[in-house]
Amino acid sequence: MSTADPDGLTLDGNAIAGMLAEVFNGAEMTGASRVCASCGQRHAIGEHRLYRGAGLVLRCPGCGDVGLLIVEGDGWREVRMWGAWSVRVPAPPA
Amino acid sequence: MIAAPRVLWRTATVLELVDETPHARTLVLDVPDWPGHAAGQHVDVRLTAEDGYQAQRSYSVASAPEDPRVALTVERIDDGEVSPYLAGELEAGDTFEVRGPIGGHFTWRAADGGPLLLVAGGSGLVPLMAMLRHRMRVGSRADARLLLSARERDALLYRDELEQLAAAGDGLSITYTLTRAQPEGWTGYARRVDAPMLEAVGPAASVQPRVFVCGPTPFVESVADHLIALGHPAAAIHTERFGPTGG
Amino acid sequence: MPSFSRGFHGRPRHPDVDPSRVPPGQYVVDDFPVLSAGPTPRVSTDDWSFAIQGAVDATASWTWAELNALPQETFTVDIHCVTKWTKLGTTWTGVSVDTLLEGVATEAEYVSVWADGGYTTNVPLEDLSDGKAWVVHTYEGEPLEPAHGGPARLLVPHLYFWKSAKWVRGLTLTVADEPGFWEAAGYHNYGDPWREQRYWSD
Repeated sequence: MSTADPDGLTLDGNAIAGMLAEVFNGAEMTGASRVCASCGQRHAIGEHRLYRGAGLVLRCPGCGDVGLLIVEGDGWREVRMWGAWSVRVPAPPA
Repeated sequence: MIAAPRVLWRTATVLELVDETPHARTLVLDVPDWPGHAAGQHVDVRLTAEDGYQAQRSYSVASAPEDPRVALTVERIDDGEVSPYLAGELEAGDTFEVRGPIGGHFTWRAADGGPLLLVAGGSGLVPLMAMLRHRMRVGSRADARLLLSARERDALLYRDELEQLAAAGDGLSITYTLTRAQPEGWTGYARRVDAPMLEAVGPAASVQPRVFVCGPTPFVESVADHLIALGHPAAAIHTERFGPTGG
Repeated sequence: MPSFSRGFHGRPRHPDVDPSRVPPGQYVVDDFPVLSAGPTPRVSTDDWSFAIQGAVDATASWTWAELNALPQETFTVDIHCVTKWTKLGTTWTGVSVDTLLEGVATEAEYVSVWADGGYTTNVPLEDLSDGKAWVVHTYEGEPLEPAHGGPARLLVPHLYFWKSAKWVRGLTLTVADEPGFWEAAGYHNYGDPWREQRYWSD
């Protein structure tokens, strides 16, 4: 479950839960889950490891594979996702 | 599973500032239309400078859900960009934006029951304090154990309140470890959290406690590894990592 | 536009910097932010090697000792990150990629840069040639820290800094251009800060 992180630079999906909620129409994202396409483990998004590079990267806590990439521009976000995500998104009122 | 309200930026007004330690301050806020929160959730804070520059950080809500005022506890990091402002310059009447409450995975409601094991490193205590304040407010007697790691006694947040909570005799026990400096006559732990310490604090993995670990990333990773080695299933361990600088 | 928070200024900005050194949309910083797409690899220089391979007649490779035995250069450049920070006057020591490419026969026009941890980026071969790129191991006179890409990173200062791959281990010369990690994620394929080429749509 640990990653070699002596610099203590990495956070987890909790840290971008606000942004992910914006992307997913207000969904609670930390408890959403993902089954990793590489290792098959299911982990909550809040447990995925977050890295900030040129964009945001969420990696599977089991194997380190990339589960999410977000690149932010001026007025847009480009989101790429891998693995089987389960997210409950609020529906707009009828 | 919490139904999330629409995630909007709201303008919070500072009602009161409380110095917790020489390096940490609690901000008591009025947030209009605050939808309420669950213990363990956080808010995103956004500051805008006069020239339009913006900085954003996340802070755990320290107050219990039963408290009508939203409180954040901010630790001032010396070369940070945001914390020296929030835990320094900020005055009552000032405003900034908050978004939230955010989070669901790292939350506890008394209805979830115990046993509960809370492991805090430094300012990682903040969301766990919201849980303990909530537990006290609703009169829960669920078996709850807090293991709190800090560099030294003066760095401990909410010291007096923690003593009161522990003295209530309602099933909460608190264990401290001071890793860098200990006061004269200290009989408590004086080392980093390790497996023997976690085992001594308990509860045992066999009673299937719900575990929450919060603090700097290396702390959380190390504690989580020890807990797994002690037999706690990964699914029962909820972690929240704070940046080393916080900002 | 949100109202501003009284008394908040953010990190000190540098109004008196020569603007011709600051690409459009960038701001100057004094610190050296650490950004990464993944965990910091830990590689011992005992196990380290660098290779030039791919569309070449023969693979060339160097051990750590061999790299350090090559002619070294110490130089100072400005660096520009696509996340908008610019750091002026950074001093590095390393080996020019021209030195590494000496004697490498190729028809390839592109390079896929690869690194420990799985990071990749792509650069036209001509952008790594003629004094435009180095493999560096020393920053400000000290061994490059792992968080900043040590033992060695690529340095291509005329492009956005995501092209200066940390933990670099080799160049694969390719006939076709192959987008790397951030290029495939939506960033610009070339990345010229002076033309503000941040995203694929720019």
